[in-house]
Amino acid sequence: MADVHHEGGGAGADFDLSQFYQIFFEEAGENLDLMEQMLLSLNLETADDEELNGIFRCAHSVKGGAATFGFTDVAELTHQMESLLDRLRRHELKPTSAMVDVLLESADASRGLLACHQNGNTADAPPTGELVKRIRMLVSGEAASGAPGPQLSPPPKPAPEVSVVVQPAVPSPAPVQTSIADGLRTLEIRMSHLDQPSQADAIVELFRDIPGLGDIQAITSSDMAADSRVFEVKTTSSNEDLLDLFAFHVSRDHVMITEKSGEPSAVGEHVAQPASLASGSVAAIASSFGFFDGAPGAPDGQPAHLAASSAGVSLPDTVEKSPRSGASKAPAVSSVQPEAATIRVAINKVDQLINLVGELVITQAMLAQNSRTLDPSVYQQLLSGLSDLDRNTRDLQESVMSIRMIPMSVVFSRFPRMLRDLAGKLGKKVDFVTLGEATELDKGLVEKITDPLTHLVRNSCDHGIELPGERVRAGKPETGTITLSAAHQGGSIVIEVRDDGKGMSREKILAKARERGLDVSDQAPDSEVWQLIFAPGFSTAEVVTDVSGRGVGMDVVKRNIASLNGTVDIESIEGQGMKVSVRLPLTLAIMDGMSVGVGDEVYILPLSSVVESFQVRSDAVSTVGQGAQLVKVRDEYMPVIELEKVFQVPRYGADKVSDIMVVIEAEGSRVVLLVDELLGQQQVVVKNLETNYRKVPNVSGATILGDGKVALILDTGALVRRSRH
Amino acid sequence: MEKINDGIGAEAREYLTFRLGREEYGIDILKVQEIRGYEPPTRIANVPTFIKGVVNLRGTIVPIVDMRLRFNCANAQYDSFTVVIILNLHQRIVGIVVDSVSDVMGLMPEQLRSAPDIESVIDAESVIGLGSLGERMLILLDIEKLMSGVDMGLVTDAC
Repeated sequence: MADVHHEGGGAGADFDLSQFYQIFFEEAGENLDLMEQMLLSLNLETADDEELNGIFRCAHSVKGGAATFGFTDVAELTHQMESLLDRLRRHELKPTSAMVDVLLESADASRGLLACHQNGNTADAPPTGELVKRIRMLVSGEAASGAPGPQLSPPPKPAPEVSVVVQPAVPSPAPVQTSIADGLRTLEIRMSHLDQPSQADAIVELFRDIPGLGDIQAITSSDMAADSRVFEVKTTSSNEDLLDLFAFHVSRDHVMITEKSGEPSAVGEHVAQPASLASGSVAAIASSFGFFDGAPGAPDGQPAHLAASSAGVSLPDTVEKSPRSGASKAPAVSSVQPEAATIRVAINKVDQLINLVGELVITQAMLAQNSRTLDPSVYQQLLSGLSDLDRNTRDLQESVMSIRMIPMSVVFSRFPRMLRDLAGKLGKKVDFVTLGEATELDKGLVEKITDPLTHLVRNSCDHGIELPGERVRAGKPETGTITLSAAHQGGSIVIEVRDDGKGMSREKILAKARERGLDVSDQAPDSEVWQLIFAPGFSTAEVVTDVSGRGVGMDVVKRNIASLNGTVDIESIEGQGMKVSVRLPLTLAIMDGMSVGVGDEVYILPLSSVVESFQVRSDAVSTVGQGAQLVKVRDEYMPVIELEKVFQVPRYGADKVSDIMVVIEAEGSRVVLLVDELLGQQQVVVKNLETNYRKVPNVSGATILGDGKVALILDTGALVRRSRH
Repeated sequence: MEKINDGIGAEAREYLTFRLGREEYGIDILKVQEIRGYEPPTRIANVPTFIKGVVNLRGTIVPIVDMRLRFNCANAQYDSFTVVIILNLHQRIVGIVVDSVSDVMGLMPEQLRSAPDIESVIDAESVIGLGSLGERMLILLDIEKLMSGVDMGLVTDAC
């Protein structure tokens, strides 16, 4: 589980973008919300550049994201919005309420589309063609005059009193006459120049599926063109409603509705018709059909508007809100509006929560301890309540802890793509391997480690891995390998970037350092030499060419990591590659720990460094020079460290001796710790001792045990180093 | 803020007084976060004896200094009356063990005497002065200075 192998370089196709979808959806949602807010508060008369730029940026971000993730419909729609906003912010157009309306609707439509993508249910995606067209019109300035778009009103109208007055720009408070017909009408609907005539047939199904819409009958005649369809429809719905419905299948440009002569058209009747019925019928259609979002043709041609205007309700002067409310009704019906899946909370609130839960756990442990002596037969209820409390607090603690922790895969997963592109550009062949992606790290650290890591990985590819030809000449496989790994080690998290490239040249670095006036000696150990590349200014273009170029911005990397209390170590073998290890402290990381008892004290060992443990026989331990102890474990002699001595544990009973050995591994070596007993494994929260105290030798931190006591976490790295000296 | 440490100011200043053996000490009340009972801390190896170890204070790891051991008191017993004063000094939280907490007292400037030069385990710089309250003598400590001294071992030398 922890080891996931990613093939970068050549293929890279298995790179999964989908894990970023969620982030995109969240961001897009936020951007759309922000845009809506800004649109609503936009004062048309005094709109300043700042506001318009802000709105533009929102649309732009959504578009960029959508295009990246391949949501072309969203990208297309937002692209149109962006063009309109672009013209607005350049003052080529004057903002009108119609623009605001259409932008708000587009935002809603985008949201709907995103919701569909999010649910993986693209079939229900609201159509956006109409909106796109309207925005284009506004961009070209046609509708800015306030005149209705010519194609919006169905051209021939035999019944003149049934007129559709569309006022996109001026939402006048005067009742708008609409063609909400109450009487049954017989219409001939002609659809011509269809790209896909079969789509028109779906209209028949519409009538079948929507109760009360009416009857439809396809009319076939010999003189009909292959790309046309003619239907005879008996309906009570208005032309506008029908057009809206058809818009899902057939663009309204292609639809022509004519009223069949001879049928009585209800003259004037519709005016007296109560608005409730009108809106009711529209609503019925809306709900039964499922969605209206984005479909309504005219900017004002939305159900709510029709209802409101025909009922003579005067619209408020600030109309921005009303189309919004009308439109927002629709997606609620169509698909479950995606709830905000995340909330942003200040980190300190989370930290406070973590501390409080820690307190709760301790209090609970105390209660549990005190209740142990109670007679179960008398206090049965109390005890069962306490055991519930125990479980609940533990669950609570676990959930709260997990808030801050995110796996390293979030960082790692952005590299395959980057490397692929980079390798392609440089003409190199690179395999990318990641290890330990499941290693969890505090969110704050993850965010801060991303940039330095990106830098290191890019450096490895750019300057470490040689060109394929060069590699073959050097007797290496054509394809280089960059390995990125993360692991908890000795109370730290260690992230390594390893490559099998050409490594660094000691001589060249030394020469370079002298050139820059740094005081270095030829005898300096390798590790010191490598540290030179972290010197500020060692990162020049010259270095890139002279010394396999490891210097680019390394000082920045070092500084960033140092600011996280981390360290950077380099190992390099010229011609064979190099390894950069970033070691970060676990400020808040949760660690799997093994608690061991020594005397009356408890210490925590990082489980990741525990190899094995066994009970020791006294004859297995041999001494060297009457002091240092060695133990033979499977043909290997390992130094023994008595924790009792290291930590000067007081002994009260002379009879007890440490006879359990725990083999730990850190920094590439193994040592054996001698302890009294193994107490168990648990997840521990690493607390910093230095916050209120100071660094303690051989201790990497502290944690709070279930009983509220503090236990020290051993720094296995330091213990191993100690045995070396 | 630093004026607070001046000690001898114009107005009455409040001090928390506590006993160590037969001596009575006072510290600036504003440095005191809370007062708790003593609970056995987790021992830390290789530290001066007066650093008793660390305890968990609602999720924070807090070092505990036994002032009685620091000031060479004859006996330092830990019983149910032993008190820990939790201090908040420069963003650091430290607990000090004392025999008992007596009072909070307001001292007027005229009640303060400057401390005479004496040989003592207490660095003269950490003593603001002596407060005289009738028969009682109050040793007023600049607890911040005392605690940040290198010999306290609470901070790394570099700090």
